[in-house]
Amino acid sequence: MKSRMNPTPLRLLNWTFLIIAAFICILPFYYVITVSFSDPTSVKSGELLLYPRGFSLDAYRVILKQKTFYNAFIVTVVRTLLGTAIGLSLQCMVAYPLSRKTMIGRRFFMLFVIFTMLFNGGIIPTYLIVRYTGILNTIWAMVIPDAISAWNVIIIVSFFMTIPDSIIESAKIDGANDISIFTRLVIPLSTPVIMTITLFIAVSNWNSLMDAVIYINKSSLKPLQVYLMSLVMRSDMANMLGSQSEQDLPTLSIQTAAIFTATLPILVMYPFIQRYFIKGVMIGAIKG
Amino acid sequence: MSSALERFPPVIRKHRKLRILKRISEDRFLLMLLAPGVVWFVIYRYLPMAGLVIAFKDFSFSKGIFGSVWVGLDNFRFLFFEQSDFYNILRNTLLINTYRLIFSFPAPIILALAINELKSPKLGTFKNIVQTAVYIPHFVSWVIFGGIIVQFLSPSSGLVNQLLGLFGIKPIYFLTDPDWFQTVIVVTDIWKTTGWGAIIYLAALAGVDPSLYDAAEIDGAGSFSQIIHVTLPAIADTIVFIMLLNVGRILMIGFEQIYVLYNPMVYEVGDVISTYVYRVGIGNAQFSLTTAIGLFQSVIGLIMIAASNWASKKWLDRGLF
Repeated sequence: MKSRMNPTPLRLLNWTFLIIAAFICILPFYYVITVSFSDPTSVKSGELLLYPRGFSLDAYRVILKQKTFYNAFIVTVVRTLLGTAIGLSLQCMVAYPLSRKTMIGRRFFMLFVIFTMLFNGGIIPTYLIVRYTGILNTIWAMVIPDAISAWNVIIIVSFFMTIPDSIIESAKIDGANDISIFTRLVIPLSTPVIMTITLFIAVSNWNSLMDAVIYINKSSLKPLQVYLMSLVMRSDMANMLGSQSEQDLPTLSIQTAAIFTATLPILVMYPFIQRYFIKGVMIGAIKG
Repeated sequence: MSSALERFPPVIRKHRKLRILKRISEDRFLLMLLAPGVVWFVIYRYLPMAGLVIAFKDFSFSKGIFGSVWVGLDNFRFLFFEQSDFYNILRNTLLINTYRLIFSFPAPIILALAINELKSPKLGTFKNIVQTAVYIPHFVSWVIFGGIIVQFLSPSSGLVNQLLGLFGIKPIYFLTDPDWFQTVIVVTDIWKTTGWGAIIYLAALAGVDPSLYDAAEIDGAGSFSQIIHVTLPAIADTIVFIMLLNVGRILMIGFEQIYVLYNPMVYEVGDVISTYVYRVGIGNAQFSLTTAIGLFQSVIGLIMIAASNWASKKWLDRGLF
């Protein structure tokens, strides 16, 4: 075993490769943090900032004062909470019956779910159905149309199938019905997969841009990603922030501050759930 | 005798009917759990498939999906023969996806192999740090990632152009130069998706019995031949699986990456099916025409996945279904 630590040239090469890969993946966030907290005057000078120069919260002050930013932030929080609660419940409720090998019509329902991974109606027909179901320009347009992901369902099903049948059968003999087995037995035994799927759904709700771009036309319902899109990508500063004195701050400072504030909730949540998802995803992947 | 035979079938049928009813009643709680999800799938996944009929109609809101006038293949005739937009977005979509198959597809495999080589327990912390770092870009939205990319590639102050400047290279307008745009799309895709893409291969590698490596080492196999004879066979199934899914998505490119990064100056090389369908379909209310494109895309996807699955079963002895 000792031999596996020896730094042979090949191993050194491999370690270097991995260090560079990790560095490249972290670099953007390092850059955003550096610029957003740096003294705005050195940001303004246009020189390259590889480490923080001075310290300033001015950019954050400007962002946090914006009503539109607040509003967008709250829309995103609400859609993420609703989307995660509804999505997670629906996906687990679909997954449990599909994990019961003896259920009537199991094969049919499985195909019914999997087929949607291979074929779909596409952007326009889905838009029309969303419109006909009357949820266009409501918060539900960002919650319901993508509430269930067939991928997630498959991952949950394969996890549920690892729960021994004997546990479920003995609960049945004790007189429990399938719903109470599901809520009192299966769910508590499935923490890793539920944590993992919660993270997936929450992150995709938090980050989703396309559904808001297509389904939401009302400015009071625009989520954070749409706000950031106009602030960061289209550099629509004058429009977003009005002609205030704070405009003295360089665009870059304000943009990076907005980016960091918008990413913070995910960066805070990530380490807590990461240990679960490695386990949860792995089981799903091996079985799938 | 014939009358006796005739008497049996209805009895058997009745039995079967009773048995099915009995099973339904046994599974009634499971079916109750399943019902809301099934309703959702019918409304938001299967009704849109039915809505694809407007590709053969001249859709108008006043008449609705089913009341609109049939126009046969007029929409397809217009797309295929009367304008060039379609060939342009088809070419861009195919080109970008081909580059992805060549460059983005192997990247997670290589990364997973590299991470898998950290076998010593003493390197556990290093392994964890690397894994945590490379997964992060997956959890950041395209808007934010795109915002950072724009800063990095800025001709005046961006990191990349400043570095190029050290070698005396003039600033390159990566995001507005049609010669560069597709490269930017492929490279940033690798950047954002490689780490997370590796997780599925790492999962498959976690199932490899470590004694296989010991045995290979005793047999005198070096690092490379261990990779070829032990590691790669262990993930061959996963590689084929991901490959088939990618081939099935040859005409699909996620909307968000392109939407965030493109601009009118690079429409010519950057516009793909999803962005075009959004811009022209919803923006200009060309519902039927863009649904025809969507139908074309979905049908080709289905054909590609069926064909590649067939080929993979025939030559590689494994497939999706």
